[in-house]
Amino acid sequence: MKTKILIVLFFTLATSVFADNTFTIQSQSDPWTPQQLLAPADLAKVLDNPKEPQPVIFSIGLQAIIKGSIDIGPMTPKNLNTLKEQLGKLPMHTQIVVYCGCCPFSNCPNVRPAMKLLKEMQFTNYKLLNLPKNVKVDWIDKGYPMVE
Amino acid sequence: MKTFILFVAALLFGSTISTLSAQSTGLDIGNKSPEIILPTLKGDTLALSSLKGKLVLIDFWATWCSPCIAEQSELAALHRKYKQASFTNEKGFEIFGVSLDAKKSNWENFITANKINWIQVSDLKYWRSPVAKTYSIQGLPFNILIDGKGIILAKNLHGSELENAIARQLLKK
Repeated sequence: MKTKILIVLFFTLATSVFADNTFTIQSQSDPWTPQQLLAPADLAKVLDNPKEPQPVIFSIGLQAIIKGSIDIGPMTPKNLNTLKEQLGKLPMHTQIVVYCGCCPFSNCPNVRPAMKLLKEMQFTNYKLLNLPKNVKVDWIDKGYPMVE
Repeated sequence: MKTFILFVAALLFGSTISTLSAQSTGLDIGNKSPEIILPTLKGDTLALSSLKGKLVLIDFWATWCSPCIAEQSELAALHRKYKQASFTNEKGFEIFGVSLDAKKSNWENFITANKINWIQVSDLKYWRSPVAKTYSIQGLPFNILIDGKGIILAKNLHGSELENAIARQLLKK
């Protein structure tokens, strides 16, 4: 009986350690902090109020959807270079927002290269728009401002 | 007697209403699937309703969606296996691929390279496509299985669950 309890305890401990490690590895691999995730509602509020300082918004997905965003396109080497060139013209403290929204971050090939570039270029005020499902569910369906 | 007649009338009225609601357009199982009329690769338009009489899988996908790409070979196998099959109420199986791509070249190149030989339509409007709104799509891949009258039989099934749903409609010999 004692052996059984010990085995169960061992497995429980092993599983929880593994789960914890997985979580740590995943969060470490993402080139952004939780504080760098911008809620869509907060961006929509800013876009709806011209008196607020407006961020420079880059679309790094298939198509620019959000009002005022600059359409860079998916993060192919060519488009990544275009983004680098555009960013090179901006002061380091510029308020920058990037978004893709094709799919959840776990499946998105675009958000990581863009956030990594912003970090490498040492920008101080950049955010990733938090679109947990996609730009349709988390932006279009909410009626937030779109490009014409 | 009067009570009996009233009772029968109420029953008849009730069943008519339920039949009507079962055939009303919607996204629930038992509803009639909303019509889709979109351009094909050649540029002419094709209507979902033109496939009346066949068992149809409406497959919402895009070349930028990696789980969708991974599923295409399974869809090809299903298409091959059931294309000519006789079902209880339908003759043949067809896939109606609706792409949420944004660029025609991506869409066309993938179809050509992978020799996809089932129906493909797209307005190339990405997540802004009206069909994404009509079908209340929350993410890709997403699919709907409809019968020969356009009635929804199943929603968002993949792998063996999808094949089982198709096989259940086969004509019992």
